Amino acid sequence: MIDSSRTRGLALLPLLAAVALAAGCAQEKTRYGDEKAVETVTNQFGSTDLQMIAESMTRSMLQDPVIAGGNLPIVTVQEVKNKTSEYIDTRSITDKIRAELQKSGKVRFAVDAVAMQQQVEELQRQQSELYEKEQAVEKGKMVGAQYRMEGNITSIVKQAKDVKDVYYKFNLQLWNIRNGLLEWTDEKEIRKTTSKG
Amino acid sequence: MKSTWTIIAVLAAVLVAGCAAKKGFEKPGFAYGCPIGDTKIGTIEDLVKAKVVTEGKRTTIQATEMRCTMTGDLLKIDVNLNNDSSHVKRINYKFRWIDREGMRAWEEEVWKPLLMNESTNIVVTGIAPTSKAVDYRLILQSQE
Repeated sequence: MIDSSRTRGLALLPLLAAVALAAGCAQEKTRYGDEKAVETVTNQFGSTDLQMIAESMTRSMLQDPVIAGGNLPIVTVQEVKNKTSEYIDTRSITDKIRAELQKSGKVRFAVDAVAMQQQVEELQRQQSELYEKEQAVEKGKMVGAQYRMEGNITSIVKQAKDVKDVYYKFNLQLWNIRNGLLEWTDEKEIRKTTSKG
Repeated sequence: MKSTWTIIAVLAAVLVAGCAAKKGFEKPGFAYGCPIGDTKIGTIEDLVKAKVVTEGKRTTIQATEMRCTMTGDLLKIDVNLNNDSSHVKRINYKFRWIDREGMRAWEEEVWKPLLMNESTNIVVTGIAPTSKAVDYRLILQSQE
């Protein structure tokens, strides 16, 4: 009895060795992927969501008469509030929207509150005695924005035993700074569902 | 008798003129509002065939209608997608924008996932990101 179980154990040894060898040989592989591909690794906020939101908002805004009018309106980017329960770099979304709008050639952007400190420091640096007076930029020449862009992102998460549903709503607004009127607003909704099995 | 023939001739001329006016509604180089260049497009099926491309996995989702218009100086396209099967289908789509020289007018768009329930039609809209985009392709890909 003992002999037969020992024999069986010995017979399993090569198999175990092969499994261990295979596990040891399984190397990590890194490859470049398509940055525009649909990413569904998890149902958390991902690159596809960011890209779709930026694209949708930009295309919608470009149709608005304020932008389409050809007067090259000056816009400043304000905060996009993250009202979801997860960490989302909303600055990354507004940066992408700003880049697309700037590339379209229909909008100009004024320095925003986040970049103001650096702008002022550079202005002051050029006022120092280190710079030629004729070539140094003058103070008081900065151009103020006519419109401010702000927004928010919210989410509703529902989870049952085997299903998790996430709904995102991104809202962006363009406000006229002079008269306080809302010139443009749009939303992008995204639903993602993950189910087990 | 002569006046009867004159009336008939006038009526025929009016009819022909009416038809001609309807046809003349479209600018040369355009069909259903969409830019077609020198391509001969007689029907909406021809237009769909010329503008819809599959990349990656093929899908059974069909583009059945396509209309274009201009919003300001930007090209806007509405495409009717049809899932005539009895199953839910998942596809990805994107528009590719082409400039006057036939080059890419803009960077590649992000693939947009789309869920289509059984026996449904969905209209997807594309808006050119720049006025340099004067032509386009709709790219479809199955997720399955």
